Amino acid sequence: MQKINRNVVLALLSLTSLVFLLFQLCYYKFYLSQKNGAAFSKARGSQSGQDSTRWHVVRKFLGLISSHNIPVYLIDPLILGLVDKDIEQIRSSPDGPSPECKYFCAPREFTTFALLDKTWKHDVGLFRTAEKMGFQWLKIINKDPRLDGMDDLSGMEIPLHYIFKLASHAIHLVVFYERSGNFLWHGPLRLKQHMDRKFVPFRKLHFGRYPGAYEKPELLLVSIDDLKVQIPKNPSSFLEEMSHSRFLECRYREARAFFQLYPDDASLDAVEFRKKAKSLLHLAALTLNNLGVKFWLSSGTCLGWYRQCNVIPHSKDVDLGIFIRDYKADIIPAFQKAGLPLKHKFGKVEDSLELSFQGEDDVKLDIFFFYEEDDHIWNGGTQAKSGKKFKYLFPKFTLCWTEFVELKVHVPCETVQYVEANYGPEWKVPVKTWDWKSSPFNVQDNGVWPIDEWDNVIQIY
Amino acid sequence: MEEWKPNPPVKPHKKRSWYLAWKYKLMNQRALRKLCQTGAVLFLLVTVIVNIKLILDTRRAAYEEEEESAQDYDDEMLNVEVPRHPVNNKKVLDVEVYSSRSKVYVAVDGTTVLEDEAREQGRGIHVIVLNQATGHVMAKRVFDTYSPHEDEAMVLFLNMVARGRILIFTIKDEGSFHLKETAKNVLKSLGSQVAPFLSWRDMWTFVGKKGGEVYGEKHAKSPALSTWGDPVLLKTEVHLTSVEDAECHWPDTELNRRRKRFCSKVEGYGSVCSCKDPTPIEFNPDPLKDNKVFDVPVAVIAGNRPNYLYRMLRSLLSAQGVNPQMITVFIDGYYEEPMDVVELFGLSGIQHTPISIKNARVSQHYKASLTATFNLFPDAKFAVVLEEDLDISVDFFSFLSQSIHLLEEDESLYCISAWNDQGYEHTAEDPSLLYRVETMPGLGWVLRKSLYKDELEPKWPTPEKLWDWDMWMRMPEQRKGRECIIPDISRSYHFGIVGLNMNGYFHEAYFKKHKFNTVPNVQLKNVESLRKDNYETEIHRLLGEAEVLDHSKNPCEDSFVPDTEGRVYVMFIRMEQEADFTTWTQLAKCLHIWDLDVRGNHKGLWRLFRKKNHFLVVGVPSSPYSFKKPSSVTPIYMEPPAKEEGAVAVPAVAAAEQT
Repeated sequence: MQKINRNVVLALLSLTSLVFLLFQLCYYKFYLSQKNGAAFSKARGSQSGQDSTRWHVVRKFLGLISSHNIPVYLIDPLILGLVDKDIEQIRSSPDGPSPECKYFCAPREFTTFALLDKTWKHDVGLFRTAEKMGFQWLKIINKDPRLDGMDDLSGMEIPLHYIFKLASHAIHLVVFYERSGNFLWHGPLRLKQHMDRKFVPFRKLHFGRYPGAYEKPELLLVSIDDLKVQIPKNPSSFLEEMSHSRFLECRYREARAFFQLYPDDASLDAVEFRKKAKSLLHLAALTLNNLGVKFWLSSGTCLGWYRQCNVIPHSKDVDLGIFIRDYKADIIPAFQKAGLPLKHKFGKVEDSLELSFQGEDDVKLDIFFFYEEDDHIWNGGTQAKSGKKFKYLFPKFTLCWTEFVELKVHVPCETVQYVEANYGPEWKVPVKTWDWKSSPFNVQDNGVWPIDEWDNVIQIY
Repeated sequence: MEEWKPNPPVKPHKKRSWYLAWKYKLMNQRALRKLCQTGAVLFLLVTVIVNIKLILDTRRAAYEEEEESAQDYDDEMLNVEVPRHPVNNKKVLDVEVYSSRSKVYVAVDGTTVLEDEAREQGRGIHVIVLNQATGHVMAKRVFDTYSPHEDEAMVLFLNMVARGRILIFTIKDEGSFHLKETAKNVLKSLGSQVAPFLSWRDMWTFVGKKGGEVYGEKHAKSPALSTWGDPVLLKTEVHLTSVEDAECHWPDTELNRRRKRFCSKVEGYGSVCSCKDPTPIEFNPDPLKDNKVFDVPVAVIAGNRPNYLYRMLRSLLSAQGVNPQMITVFIDGYYEEPMDVVELFGLSGIQHTPISIKNARVSQHYKASLTATFNLFPDAKFAVVLEEDLDISVDFFSFLSQSIHLLEEDESLYCISAWNDQGYEHTAEDPSLLYRVETMPGLGWVLRKSLYKDELEPKWPTPEKLWDWDMWMRMPEQRKGRECIIPDISRSYHFGIVGLNMNGYFHEAYFKKHKFNTVPNVQLKNVESLRKDNYETEIHRLLGEAEVLDHSKNPCEDSFVPDTEGRVYVMFIRMEQEADFTTWTQLAKCLHIWDLDVRGNHKGLWRLFRKKNHFLVVGVPSSPYSFKKPSSVTPIYMEPPAKEEGAVAVPAVAAAEQT
């Protein structure tokens, strides 16, 4: 009796566990498929390793978008990378049917599109249609940075990112805004407390870790994988731009606090100087950008941006930094052509190069060239009358975009380290008397130029 | 998955004794049964392992995902959004209403929603409207029914309130002196027993539902003319209805959703919240052909006058060629109701923390609004600046579209304004005519970005300077001799009666009779003649054509100008130097046009209409056009009357402020 019982119990248990196991296997399989994506029937993409889900979702999304007349363009770096390889062919036959699904069928979790904010009315109907089509969507809103610099304005929050999810694929729609300085800006993707953190694996998104700054792209309507879609006309330069698009917002709140402590100089002289410095900076940026020379705000101009989001009125000049590897011999003639005569040239390309141009009414444009070493970066200084050399050391840094006096310019991303290296920990306190040979925190004596080189390394006009 | 197939994965040599036992049992008769049993046990074991693996796997994946999304992507602000109002399921509201000579207050469920004990203020009947479903305050008004006509405003307001709303009344100081029969009847119809007998300095409180029950009423009679009635305190309960009963059943569209949100929050906007036949909130005026101002941002500068803003936005959104996407409303202060109005129309609004006081506050608000406008629309070369107390003409954008290129090309222009300071019913005639004037009229104008960014913004008056922004903009240091283009017939109408520099008398005298264009699609005449040099040619042509009036007559008399139509007349007044406006001011006074300071002049010349004739006034000898004066004519001189020196002092003060 007992043994039969035991057998029956065991058999029953085995059966249950078998059912259980099967159920779990199914579940596990479903779970895996959800991660990789294969819920759609393989109607398209006959080759193995292709994923038609993505193609279908993208097609649905494009249909949704065009039914609401919203112009979006493709900025997905992986697809643009593929497209770039065949760009000539795609350009030459914009309407040709494609024999195979080449771009939109690689299994990915996302496809990224961009939307220019000003080209659409914030039409709620879009989301209702999206829901009807089966999309789940998520909107990420945040403060409008264009109002951030303003004293105490509180506008409505603006949408920065949208995510449309259907089955196992998601469309990431990045909203671009026009900013002063004639560039496009997209915001960072930050989740608020109540948001669904698992809506998509946010970390894998290509856009949103940092805000970004871009030039306004020229667009091209192409047909790839039988889908009509707008792409940047020059995908490779877009991808290049994307790789260093990180944008830093000015620290407006800290700047306001600074002005609370040290009220702004509103004298006519200060107003005039700011105006001149601004137009000088605009001219310099135009000249260097035309040459394709990368530059950043340095010294006092950088401090002004970082500390008070404005030109420091008593600084009396505009300072830019350029990596020596970006040096071009055309720089001097280009500035002269732009109406800025060379005032002095210290050092040489191999060592401590520094150029100074004469702007309008005593406002000077100083360009310092930076030399990269293994563990630091430095630029040089020269005293004209004694031939003494100085060296200013900075920790290594990368470049970020920012907006300054209605201009898109570079600043060191690690700004505080840069400013602190230059001005010491007390950089928050304005100093009116400044000696470039002794005041900087990071200045070092660097010997004397040999007399026979003076003619070359000390040129004053 | 294959590796988890339930095969006994036992390696025999590892556990020898167990293997032997198994071998022995296999030979046994019960071997088969034992085998089954062992198999089952092993199978169970495998299941458990698979189970655990699955749990671990999903756990880890989920954890990773959480980790991933948590890092970097968290908003720095960690404050959890707390629901603002705890959900109140209570069906009864406790209402307290107090009325006395120097203080009134209303408390709903212990929260004070009205308290006024300021001296010399808030006299009359205070009215509060509550939502019958939520108990939220939807409108707060005070009608100074001690003064004339205020009772009419109250009747108008009460008629606009939707049926079913809860109305609370209380009197501060005095509320009966000009409370006429009509108003008393309206109050009676609301259920008040006392209202028809309200008299001098009585205290009164009343709570009732519009078109329904009365929740309470208290009254204290004034015993004598010189004394007030005793303070009264009414405590009562109000039963709330369900939300569905309090709402209209409009078709479910996006527009109606906005309407519903609006109408459940505020009261006093009339038919926009009417259940049966609501007035539209989307207007879709005809687009303009070749609209040059479609992409020009429009900044609406607003304070806390939501009813004005409502009227203003209606007229703005009805103007042909309007682009709602370019409109931003800037509200000076954290006021909810103006923002509700903005949202009703689906526009974007920005609130501004007030800085400084009075005029400087307005001035700072203007600066912030203009800067924000150019930040939000970095591509824009211009901005249209409007105020909340303006009606906008149907051809406002058409007028700008036809003239904006002048502002772009002619450096000698300061602005384009929709407002003609001297364009009254009796002095403006031609909707297609434009002028150049040396003054900046404001009240609906276009600002060039470069002017703002390069000149005005950097030296805008700081908050401690209590300057009017418009006075400041009119100063020679800012204007630098540049001029504005204005139409003969204004494209905006200033309807505001309450305001910082505004009161009923002032409005009646200077704004009410202003002419306002209502004709759509007016084709402007000869726009090119408004350019700097062309305009001089035009003026010379006009003066050449003009008939000199009889200077022996009194220019204030109607007979000064002959009874003709469509002619051009000129008169000469005495104007010793550029800033001598003695005679002009007197002339302006008797013509009933703007005389508080000098407006509308161009090189000592004023252009207006009298009896449908173009009427030119030239100041001699200061004006360069003086040479047109025939030698026989003596310029008219009008002395300021000695008595009214106070009045004349006004422009003098204004001028002093400017320097």
